[in-house]
Amino acid sequence: MILTELRTTTREFAQATGWEPKPEGLCRGEICVPAPGALSADGSLDVAIAAARLGMPLVEDADHGVWSLGPATLSGKSLNTAVAADPELMNFDGSPFRLSSLRGKKVVLVAWSSY
Amino acid sequence: MPGWQALNLEIAQYGATVVTVALDINAEHARPWHELGQATHPSVVDTLHATNPLFGFTNIPMAVWINEDGVLVRPAEGASIERNPMRDMEIPEGLPEALDKMLHAVKDIPDDAEAYRAAIIDWAKNGASSPFALSADEVVERSQPRSDNEARATACFELGDYLRKTVSQDAAVSWWKEAHRLHPQNLTYKRQAWTLVTTAPGATENDLMQGPNDVYDSSLVAEVSGDGGFLQFIVRPQL
Repeated sequence: MILTELRTTTREFAQATGWEPKPEGLCRGEICVPAPGALSADGSLDVAIAAARLGMPLVEDADHGVWSLGPATLSGKSLNTAVAADPELMNFDGSPFRLSSLRGKKVVLVAWSSY
Repeated sequence: MPGWQALNLEIAQYGATVVTVALDINAEHARPWHELGQATHPSVVDTLHATNPLFGFTNIPMAVWINEDGVLVRPAEGASIERNPMRDMEIPEGLPEALDKMLHAVKDIPDDAEAYRAAIIDWAKNGASSPFALSADEVVERSQPRSDNEARATACFELGDYLRKTVSQDAAVSWWKEAHRLHPQNLTYKRQAWTLVTTAPGATENDLMQGPNDVYDSSLVAEVSGDGGFLQFIVRPQL
């Protein structure tokens, strides 16, 4: 997740990371991690606090004034939960696509590339 | 891609579908392959490589299986479903050294294609009762390790791509080099970077050889012609 300041909206954080801020903490699937102080009354999120709680590295490029937030390392595994992420992907005609549109079907998601 | 289309037609009757996702920062690079495949299943592109960290993709082809409720029943693993024809070819004498090394490395890739394809069909037919469908705990446990280094590599790769788009092509290089150093087994991050500097200007297809270059510290040829070959980058399916 690319950031130009260390505060973002809960919606953007959830879309980018899959971790949804809730009253009980930062949640994904069946896992909720308490994150006191991360949520503000205006609905914004302190990224540094959330990153520390979830074990997400924050990498800064000071010359360009941007940060990049890496994925959670809570479980020490690439997956923290078996609940599938649902990123917004793109059809080749430019329209958006989400895996959740296929609920009710078994899905084999295959990564490939042109290189 | 035609192989996945054929498999999709075979498993559709069981309420299953293939979804192919191209990990390409430029959708136009993947478009000719997408069109060649004439897919009737969803065929999408991930220009941000967002699915790498979300599912654990570090190479291609890799796949995850997702059940009807949106729960993973297999983590990211190597997903060849057709025997690579190059495995059976006789390598002629006198080829350029780089090509010779690459072809030998390809022939050494373990062949799990037939078993993996059969496992997909079994799961499509039998769902949760298939022996290849794992529990949620097993899926997490079998997913690849992620230390701070690997997570930091993802952040560096994304930062490099952002700077490539907003500042200049060259602005990505130092961050992508750092991503390669932090997660050396992530071949996707490497190949995406290498191909941008080894593909000739105006070429209609990406360079697949990704040989020595003046920008990055290594190349595909150099890495796969060593002791580890392609195997060092492959997550073999445990079937």
